[in-house]
Parts: sequence; C-alpha cells; structure tokens
Amino acid sequence: MLYEIKESILLSFEALRSNKLRAFLASLGVVIGISIVIMMGWLLGGLDKAMQDTFSIIGTDMLYIDKWDWTGGDNWRNVRNRKNISLKQAEQLRKLHGTAEYVIPNINQWGTTIEYDGETYQGMTAVGTTAENAFTPVGNLLLGRYFNEFEEEYGSNVIVIGHLVYSTIFKGQDPIGKTIKLNGRPLRVIGVVKKRGTMFVDFIDRQMFLPLKKYAGIWNVDRKSMSIGIKAGLENNLDEVRTETIGLMRIIRNLKPNEPNDFSINETKAFEKSIETLRLNVYMIGIVMTSLAFIVGIIGIMNIMFVTVTERTKEIGIRKSLGAKKRSIWLQFLVESSFLCLLGAILSLIMCSGIAYLAATYLPTYFPEVSFLLPVLPTELFIIATLVSVFVGILAGLIPAIRAARLNPVEALRFD
Amino acid sequence: MSKPIIDIRNISKVYQMGSQLVHALRDITVSINQNEYVALMGPSGSGKSTLMNILGCLDTPSSGTYFFNNTNVRELNDNELAEIRNREIGFVFQTFNLLPRASALKNIELPLVYSGVKKYDRIEKAEAALKSVGLEDRMEHKPNELSGGQRQRVAIARALVTSPSIILADEPTGNLDSKTGEDIMRLFQNLWESGNTIILVTHEEEIALHAKRIIRLRDGLIESDELNHNQVNFN
Ligand SMILES: Nc1ncnc2c1ncn2[C@@H]1O[C@H](COP(=O)(O)OP(=O)(O)OP(=O)(O)O)[C@@H](O)[C@H]1O
Ligand SMILES: [Mg+2]
Repeated sequence: MLYEIKESILLSFEALRSNKLRAFLASLGVVIGISIVIMMGWLLGGLDKAMQDTFSIIGTDMLYIDKWDWTGGDNWRNVRNRKNISLKQAEQLRKLHGTAEYVIPNINQWGTTIEYDGETYQGMTAVGTTAENAFTPVGNLLLGRYFNEFEEEYGSNVIVIGHLVYSTIFKGQDPIGKTIKLNGRPLRVIGVVKKRGTMFVDFIDRQMFLPLKKYAGIWNVDRKSMSIGIKAGLENNLDEVRTETIGLMRIIRNLKPNEPNDFSINETKAFEKSIETLRLNVYMIGIVMTSLAFIVGIIGIMNIMFVTVTERTKEIGIRKSLGAKKRSIWLQFLVESSFLCLLGAILSLIMCSGIAYLAATYLPTYFPEVSFLLPVLPTELFIIATLVSVFVGILAGLIPAIRAARLNPVEALRFD
Repeated sequence: MSKPIIDIRNISKVYQMGSQLVHALRDITVSINQNEYVALMGPSGSGKSTLMNILGCLDTPSSGTYFFNNTNVRELNDNELAEIRNREIGFVFQTFNLLPRASALKNIELPLVYSGVKKYDRIEKAEAALKSVGLEDRMEHKPNELSGGQRQRVAIARALVTSPSIILADEPTGNLDSKTGEDIMRLFQNLWESGNTIILVTHEEEIALHAKRIIRLRDGLIESDELNHNQVNFN
C-alpha cells in the first residue's frame, strides 16, 4: 500500500509535469482558498501577539480607576459629564483600600515642552505618580532606576522617561544623569522605560514619570481628573479587589444607592473583549471567503480529475486486468488529487510568506496601526495548510476516484 | 488424466444494443486441462474475445457456469476476481497494453505490486521474467523505445511474472510482422514445454497450427473442437 502511494505520487508528478498549465489553472481555487486560510491565521496570530503585548503593558492583575472608559464602552456624553476624580479622592482610596497590594494615583499632562541641548521637543506626556508605580508594568526599565519614596516625599527633580522620549531626545546617547527642561523646570533623568507600544496602546512610549509633588509644582492638579492604578497582586484577587474598589469609590464620591457609577474601571478584560470582536470579524470574513474559494477550488480539481480519469481509462483497464483491486484504483486518484492540492498549498505558503514578510517590514512605516503584523508565518499554519489541502484533495477526488474504480475492465481496455 | 483448470458449461453472453439483443456467445461448453495448448479460431465477430474475457474473469457470462480450478466464478466478489486475475491468469493482448510511462521493468513489476510482493523480491522476479524473454538489456526502456516484438515480449514477461495457472493471449501476433510473430510463437512453445497452460486466439491458420488443440467458433457457437495432429514445432 505504501509502495502504491509512492508510485501514485511519482505518477501524479509526471502527469502534472506534462500538463503544467492545466494543473495550475485547476488548482487556482485551492491556491486562493489556502492563501486566505494562511493570511487569516497570520492576521489572527498578529492580533494575539498584540493582545499579549497589550496585556503585559496594562498588567493582567491591574485595575485603573478613571473618569474615562479606555475602550469607549460607556456612553460618551455621560462620561463627559462625570465629575473629575480629585487627588484627594485618590489619596482617600489609597488609605482605605484593604485588599489591593498598591493603590497608585496618576495624573497626566498631555502636550508638554521639553528642552535639551538647545532643541525643543513637543508632544510628550508627563505623568505625576508615586514610587509604587515601579511595581506596575511601567516599572520595567531599560536603563537606570525608578524614583524612590524619599524622592516622592520631597518632590525631587527627577524623571523616568518612556522609550520614545529617550530615542527622540537622546538618539541613543546615555541619558542617565542628564538634565532636561520640562516646561522650563530642570529635571534629572534617572531611568528609561522599556519599549512597550503596540497598536492598541501606542501613546505609552511618549510618557515620562515624575514624583506627584514635583508635578504639582509645575501644573495645577485641581483642574485635572486622576487615573488610579490598582495592583491586585494576584490575578485571582482581582474580583475581590474590584468589588472593594467599587464600594469605596461609591462612598468616596457620595453616590446614592440608585445612582450608577460615575467612574470607569479599566482592565485587560475590556481589551480582551474588543480584540475578541476583531478576531470574530476576521474569522467571519475569512470563513466566507475561504468557503467560496474552496467550492470553486473543489469544482476545479474535481473537473481535472474527471478529465484525468477519462484520459487514463485504458490504463485503468490494464491495471484491472493485472489484478488491481478497486481500492488500488481509487487510492491512485485520491493520491493524485491530494498531491495536486498539496502543490497548491506549497505555492500558497511560498506566496504568503513573501507577502507577510513584505507587509510586516514595510507597511508599519506608513500605517503604524498595523505594527502587529508578524514578518514570519506561524509554524502551525504550515501544518494546517498541508492538512487542509490534503483534505480538500480527497474531497475533490472522491467522486472521480470512485468512478475510476467502478469502470468495467473490458470496456476500459477497449478505450483509446 | 489431468484435472480441468477451466470448466465452462452452457455459457452465453448477450449484449443489449439499443432495442436489439446481440448474442456474442450462445451455448458454449468446454473444458481445458493443465498444460494444454489451445488455439481459438473463428471469423471476426464470432465471439473469441468475448470468450477470452470471460475465461480471464474480466467479464461475466449472461448465463451458464464457469468453474476455474473447481471454484464457481459466479460466487466470487470483485476483490476475489481481482485476486484470481492477479495470481492465476496472465493476459497477453494484441495491442500489448503496456503502461506507456513506465519502464519495461516497472511494467513487469506491476502485477507483483498488486499481490503485495516485497520490493526486493519484486525486482528479482521481474528481472528473471525479462531475462526469460531475452530482454535483460532493455530493463529501463519505455514501451515507445522498444520495437513491437520487444513490447510483446515485455507483455509476455509481465503475464508470466506471477507464475499464473494459465496464459490467455488474444491475437498476440496480430500487430507483428510474420518473422517477429514467429519469435513470439517460439516463446509460447517454450512456455508450453516447460509446463504452462496456454489459450491463444488467432485467425491465422499458420499460427493456430503451433497449438495442440484447435477450437473453432462461429456466431457464438463451437463449430469444431479437435486435436491438432500436424502440430508445428520449432527445433
Ligand atoms: N460491449 C459490447 N456491446 C455490444 N456488442 C458487443 C460488445 N462487445 C462485443 N459485442 C459483439 O459481440 C460479438 C462478438 O465480439 P467479439 O469481440 O468477441 O468478437 P471476436 O471474435 O473477438 O472478433 P475479432 O476477431 O474481430 O476480434 C460481436 O458481434 C460484437 O459486435
Ligand atoms: Mg477479438
């Protein structure tokens, strides 16, 4: 049986070689179908990676209390009318919280001005925070260190800069110990955060972190709404911490029992949901397109197999006269149609590898949103494409193969 | 008295052609023993090929019974018929019927593939068969690189390679010139002398005279069935 399969593959190979164009046209549908499967898998792979990256930025054990809903889930107008979360409220929450490991007030100033070495840079974001912020994903540093509790307490002139700030201003030079001017105030750079940006959270590398007290010396904190980072410590504690947080916030913000929350709780779960929707869309479009391509593909392969069976009627008669059983005959044609599809799959894989590499290398330069694309196809796609193609080949070859096996040997022998 | 290897009784074959019935064979009863050398003769359309196809288990009769080696062929399923064709019967056709894309050796190996012989044995047996027809120096040649006589010898080697009980040849010299045809007949005589059973269809008297027994068909009936007392031998 193994030998028969091997022989059939060799035979199909020769048959294909003598009829390249016909084989190519017949397998075009399959090539397209498998290409769609591959591209879909490639996109989903990229999305998954982007999701993982986003999770590691936000932290799977983190909650962020904010006036704003990060995923745009709550009603925009209601959200806008919410009262700011004040520094005082943030500090109350920090004091009262029992289950959280850390409660970290953050305040953001967009569009700052930085001067360094005679140049001026716009568009970076200053974040006033506490030393405990070092224990959140932001504390993952490339260079230097985070500011400590004393520096926090005294409002020292120190700053930890995001990766984009570092690359824009210092262009690869050692920034540690250098002094930059932030809206006119001199600050000493003591650390650089690792690169973290992805398509879902891209502003993040523009951030710079300084002690809350220092921030309050530069900007007015009363007119701004705080964002409070809450580290649960363990993912399992998240529900408990969330329940306590909501309860405390409602008390702190004097909400009556019938009033809805006037703050949002942002966490990775919300992103999971929005990525899930995106995934689903890719799936749906992919499945519809794949089905169409495969229907066309199967019809194409089935057609060429019928032609092949007819062309080889005499051969089938000869084989039967020599004692080939039905099984041997249909096996030969199933192997041939699978082999045809497999070649289609190989063609698709080569093509898609090229597209993936080019797209991932050059597209993000023009469209930063697609920086999640992977330059190399995930390994499992090679296995999936192979299996799918063989399956399609068997499906398309089934009826022609059965017809071949059923041929009457006497009539087949008379054919020419 | 040797036991009959082929025993057919009252066999008929009817084809439906539109509304018309064609009686290719009407009422044939024949038995053939081991190591017989039979020539089947008759005018065109008399039913020779039809009978050969039934004898070779490629086709089934419309009525009558066929015992092959004491087995009632009617009771066999497709797979069992294929096995009989594979192990017990060697076909030789007028048009050679070799696979055009396969080498001589690969063509001869094919019946052994279907009987599940291992690769090593297969090649050894195929080479021996090719040698027995004097073509050991043409193993890798494709059919279109061989002469008609050589092709027919490859076909005979293929028919022999499974050591079948019987060799059925339907006009094996029909596409060959008389000199090459004689070479083929010499080969058949050797096979017969070394114990093979041979049934050969021809409509040339000269060819038929090589056989030991001559059966003549006409309109699907046996016209005569007698021993050939003037057998021509190569020596
Ligand atoms: N598949 C078929 N359908 C209808 N009629 C058939 C079929 N096969 C054979 N016949 C008829 O059966 C009869 C016997 O045919 P067969 O091929 O056995 O003749 P033959 O003796 O081999 O002739 P030849 O010497 O020309 O080869 C012929 O009349 C032929 O037309
Ligand atoms: Mg005939």
